[in-house]
Amino acid sequence: MNQQDTPANLLAGTLHREKSYRPPCICPGGMMNMLTVEAMDLCHTYWPEAHSDPVLMARLAAAPFAAGLFDNIGVPFCMTVEAEAMGSAVDLGDRQTEPRVTAYAIASVEQWDKLSPVSLDRGRAKVVLDALARIRAQYPQAAIIGNLTGPISLASSLVDANALYKELRKKPQAAHALMDFVTDNLITFGRAQIQAGAEFIVISDPSGTGEILGPRLFEEYALPGLNRLCQALRPLCSGVIVHICGQLRTVYPQLAQLESDAISVDAAVSLEKLRENVPGKVVMGNVSTFALAAGKSDTIRSLCRGCLRSGADILAPACGLGTTTALSSIRILMETVKEAADAD
Amino acid sequence: MSRKEELLAELDRCVLEMEDDTVTGVAQEYVDAGYDAYEGITEGLSKGMEKAGQLYEEEEYFVPELLICSDAMYNGLDVLKPHLKASTDQGSKCPVIIGVVEGDTHDIGKNLVKIMMDTAGFEVYDLGRDVAVEAFVEKAKEVGHGIICMSTLMTTTMGNMSRVIESLKEQGLRDRFGVMVGGGPLSKSFADKIGADLYTANAAEAAKESKNLADKIANS
Repeated sequence: MNQQDTPANLLAGTLHREKSYRPPCICPGGMMNMLTVEAMDLCHTYWPEAHSDPVLMARLAAAPFAAGLFDNIGVPFCMTVEAEAMGSAVDLGDRQTEPRVTAYAIASVEQWDKLSPVSLDRGRAKVVLDALARIRAQYPQAAIIGNLTGPISLASSLVDANALYKELRKKPQAAHALMDFVTDNLITFGRAQIQAGAEFIVISDPSGTGEILGPRLFEEYALPGLNRLCQALRPLCSGVIVHICGQLRTVYPQLAQLESDAISVDAAVSLEKLRENVPGKVVMGNVSTFALAAGKSDTIRSLCRGCLRSGADILAPACGLGTTTALSSIRILMETVKEAADAD
Repeated sequence: MSRKEELLAELDRCVLEMEDDTVTGVAQEYVDAGYDAYEGITEGLSKGMEKAGQLYEEEEYFVPELLICSDAMYNGLDVLKPHLKASTDQGSKCPVIIGVVEGDTHDIGKNLVKIMMDTAGFEVYDLGRDVAVEAFVEKAKEVGHGIICMSTLMTTTMGNMSRVIESLKEQGLRDRFGVMVGGGPLSKSFADKIGADLYTANAAEAAKESKNLADKIANS
């Protein structure tokens, strides 16, 4: 059997720029949700219960992989695990709604020293680690992904974003202290995820975009945290992917300094432009989440082919999946990467 | 330049240059001198906020800068508002009902739109974040006509936007409201698909385009 025949090796090979027999087809989980109502029906396991039970989390996370939709299995299903562990209050949502922060841990970056460190032996952080161990035991061939909330996004789940964004400018010293603390905790959680069974780490930072922060604050706050995570976690696993939302035009020079193996982008981003301006990165993306939800198979198929043509090394839904997306629509992604393999 | 003009220019500058502390003293000096509070808002604070919005569109300013500018504007407004004369009441303001749809608590974008709409002279009813479909519709019944403006940052909650539109139809309210949507993952084609009247990509554009939308409703 060829080394690359397992989905895990396929993704690892692609991230390390080895020639592979086809592009991987991934939906990481975390911010980039891969679960739909139909996928939950497949395994009779549902949100919100699966957010806080490792057996249910592992079973539900594996359902899209087991159905042949993606090369990976990823946990958790939301961006609130770290924030909850550090002191924010979370509503776990319902079958179709993701968990969300309902009360912030602190009111200002200056109170960063009141935050709790992420504890790995209780709460949903432990649920995630236990789920990873179960997934590893049952699906060793899958590309197992541990998801982390990006540093700015986690900070904006601990302090109201309105205050955080202003204080990045007005209280830089405390803001840096908060970002350092947040990043240290993410490194701890990321290391534990790898130890528990994650072979890849995906970091999504939707609140830390160039569009929101502008190039100066992106470089001062977002980039250093992401790079510290990459430096700490890349040597321990088979690859780190960073997802950044929104238009990237204003921060191309900063993204060129990003130390991840791959960069994942929104549907709004032109992959040609990205490759031109941020050379040397493995690119993941960026089939429109909306087109997938809308369900017109011809449109989806031509978008998938277009992504591969314009340089996606890894095919993925741009911002994860809406919960109402049909399995038949999702299946087109995998069909397209397989068709690319047959064509070679 | 008269002292009044100087102070108006200073109010404008304080907002534009994020002087959210200094602005309070300037506004105080302005009202103490007996100058018209309404003009202080329209010719001072709002001008600065409009320029800040312009810089945001030009990608000179980003969200943090715009938020501090808006703090400066509201700090100035707090001083000027109690001095507004009753006669300058603007009865013809178009109402805007704004909120982040249920399931989502990301409200930065919504707050920016609210600020720019305030500046543009709309009567803004802010329902906050994580707003239930029914709450939009209840408020629409109460206000009677105007614009409903919804946002979300999450792909999983976009469906609630079309639920609001459907519910407005069921209640026979759809014709009396312009519906606009925005937020990170949205697009014009999504807005068209759910039957919204307008999609805008950022706050400055939202305020501008909503003026056209308000005119359209007023003339229909």
